[in-house]
Amino acid sequence: MMRSLFLFDMTFWLYLAALGLYVAYLFAKRPAMQMAPAGHPIGDLEDRDGAWATQLGQVATLVTVFGWVLNTMALMTRAFERMEHSGTFAPWSNQFEAMAYVSWAIILGYVLLEFRYRIKAVGAFVVGIGFIAMGAASLLPYRYQTAEPLVPALNSYWIYIHVSVTLTSYAAFAMAGGLGLMYLFKERAVNRGSQSRFYAAFPDLETIDELGYKAIMLGFPLLAFGIILGAMWANYAWGGYWSWDPKETWSLIVWLIYGAYIHARMTRGWEGHKAAIYAIFGFLMVIFCFWGVNFLLSGLHAYA
Amino acid sequence: MNDKPDAASDMSASGPSTSGLGWEEFSREVVDFFASIKLAMFLFIVLAMTATIGTVIQQGERPETYVQEYGEEAYRWFLRLGFTDVYHTWWFTSLLGLLCVNSLTCFHKRFPSVWRSMRQDKVSVSLAFIQGMKQQATLSINQPKETVAESLVRIFAEKGYKVLAKSDPGEVTVYATKGIMGRVGAHVAHLSATVIVLGGLLGSYYGFSEFGVCLEGQTYHIPRGNFDLHVDKFWIDYHENGSVKSYNSTLTVIDQGTPTMTKTITVNDPLVYKGIWFYQSSYGDAWDQIEAARINVKDKTSDKVVATVDLEWNKEKAVEGLPLKMKMTDFVADFAFNSTEKKVFSKTAEHANPAIRLAVDERSTVQSTPWVFYHYPDLFEIKDSAYQFEFIGYQPKKFTGLQIARNPGIMMVWIGCTMLVVGMTLSSLIYHRRLWAKILPGEAGVTLHLGGTTHKSQIDFQKEFRKLTEKIQTKTSS
Repeated sequence: MMRSLFLFDMTFWLYLAALGLYVAYLFAKRPAMQMAPAGHPIGDLEDRDGAWATQLGQVATLVTVFGWVLNTMALMTRAFERMEHSGTFAPWSNQFEAMAYVSWAIILGYVLLEFRYRIKAVGAFVVGIGFIAMGAASLLPYRYQTAEPLVPALNSYWIYIHVSVTLTSYAAFAMAGGLGLMYLFKERAVNRGSQSRFYAAFPDLETIDELGYKAIMLGFPLLAFGIILGAMWANYAWGGYWSWDPKETWSLIVWLIYGAYIHARMTRGWEGHKAAIYAIFGFLMVIFCFWGVNFLLSGLHAYA
Repeated sequence: MNDKPDAASDMSASGPSTSGLGWEEFSREVVDFFASIKLAMFLFIVLAMTATIGTVIQQGERPETYVQEYGEEAYRWFLRLGFTDVYHTWWFTSLLGLLCVNSLTCFHKRFPSVWRSMRQDKVSVSLAFIQGMKQQATLSINQPKETVAESLVRIFAEKGYKVLAKSDPGEVTVYATKGIMGRVGAHVAHLSATVIVLGGLLGSYYGFSEFGVCLEGQTYHIPRGNFDLHVDKFWIDYHENGSVKSYNSTLTVIDQGTPTMTKTITVNDPLVYKGIWFYQSSYGDAWDQIEAARINVKDKTSDKVVATVDLEWNKEKAVEGLPLKMKMTDFVADFAFNSTEKKVFSKTAEHANPAIRLAVDERSTVQSTPWVFYHYPDLFEIKDSAYQFEFIGYQPKKFTGLQIARNPGIMMVWIGCTMLVVGMTLSSLIYHRRLWAKILPGEAGVTLHLGGTTHKSQIDFQKEFRKLTEKIQTKTSS
């Protein structure tokens, strides 16, 4: 009955394949070279790849883009199915769809990053997170995956914008989390003086750090906008713009956590190592806000 | 931070200060403390941590609930610390207040320099000032200073910088700036915190929010708005699969006796009149009224049903063919009797033990007002009466639960939110950059001293500065 589920499934497998290819790309044989010195301009990372790495990298990108196209198609098909069954078309109206949308946004962000900065090594981390998001979605029981009609409180045009903006900010934080993890890996290699070819494709520490910061700088205003849109919606649906509902409160907590990060970056000593750990911690809080709150705490947002 | 030129001018403007711990020094220390980023980080983290409390411990429950779940000793601590209503405790509110003070002090301390550089920038700076910058370069160029200045202006302008040049005897200074809106944005976001909090306070002091149970066909007076509200209808729409599509109430506002507005409200579409919002919040069956009841009249001697009567609420009805008039005067959904006050009441809102009270008039010989029960038909018997009454069915009266609220602070909150989003977006996407170039006569041609500062994205700026320097080198050497 649900054609979209087939497409979501295909997306899942393609993201798995892409993740495998990116990991293989990192392990591929490269001609002997030194690590790039710190602060060295990026852009010549691809020149360091050997024949195997180049080919693997190209296929990985291709598979990722194809997976993303299927993800897009799946979401669009779901939008049509929703139109038929539930009078709205927002393909992010339950937990499953929200997860699929988040992985869509993560992969889109990654593809843009790859095309702009030409760093494929990030794929092993960020596509990994996109894949996990998609995988977690497909692990949900079938009854969570279907396009059931919306409860009256959700049946509003606000769902189009509030949910999509908030989820996009989650995707940005996921990206920052992935980059933070990558930073720690690379940092360990640098500290040990590792000459392993595995790390050769990694950009230098400063670049990873800066990219992670940029992802948070994108997610932070988006989350604020998402929360405010939620407040406006609540003002129409619940009789007040703020009611300290657990989901509301947790999104505010996440925002405060990243607020502290943004301010910390202005002071010395909060780049690099600390920032990377903090970005991972922040992402864990995002996961709790997104998943944990729905399953562990009761409240007005407990719909799915 | 990187506001050295302005900070320097501030110092000279304030004149010679008194020695020791003078008032000025003290006030500067206080301002520095309250404007500090460290305080901001501290507040963000502490607010984040304390906000979790209210999501773990249920808020605003009855004491028994807490005692049952956490024990008496824990509940005593909860009360002491305000954990049963965390977000309205004095300490949580103080933290929010401190955040406002923090952001306002930051604005007070740092915005004047932003404002000055928006209005009028310092073009002339000392050589030492340029050399003290984090990003700086010195180039020797074998060309006349006018040509170098021209190409500098062109290169900076191409990159989207606003350029000012000043020619002094023997030297030329070029100043270029870009992205001041990024800093303005940060300050707008800082101000928004106070605007939002003030809007929230305004709402909590001068606003109200209450819940009203309203029956179809009834008119209610809304004292806060001095008008009446008539509930025309309540109904539920369903999807094909039987799940609820929407809850709807048609309401009519009656102001000064004349109907002025009619609207069907749904969950996401409230009615607004004179600043008072009416939300569709819940619904249910009324517990003290029903639409109609069906009564079987049994003849006591033959034990046979002699008539079935449908009674409407509070309307007397003569039973056809029998010397009998009946009226339904009361209804309770969950029958209970208060023996001290001798009063019947509904224990809960659930229809657990529905009962109606009849006023029975048998040809004026027997008059009684018995309670008859839906679940227990044989409970009471009316003495002297020829009949037994059985309450066999009823049509409940629906009520619509309306949330009635007014929030005079809401506009302020939305203004603050707009400031927050606009400010944060500007400050995230744009960063302020300033470049100074001093062209001095050198051994052969001129010496160019180039320096630049930014308030964030140091790495991006470092790259940009390096590229600019390279570009100046290639452009001026050709």
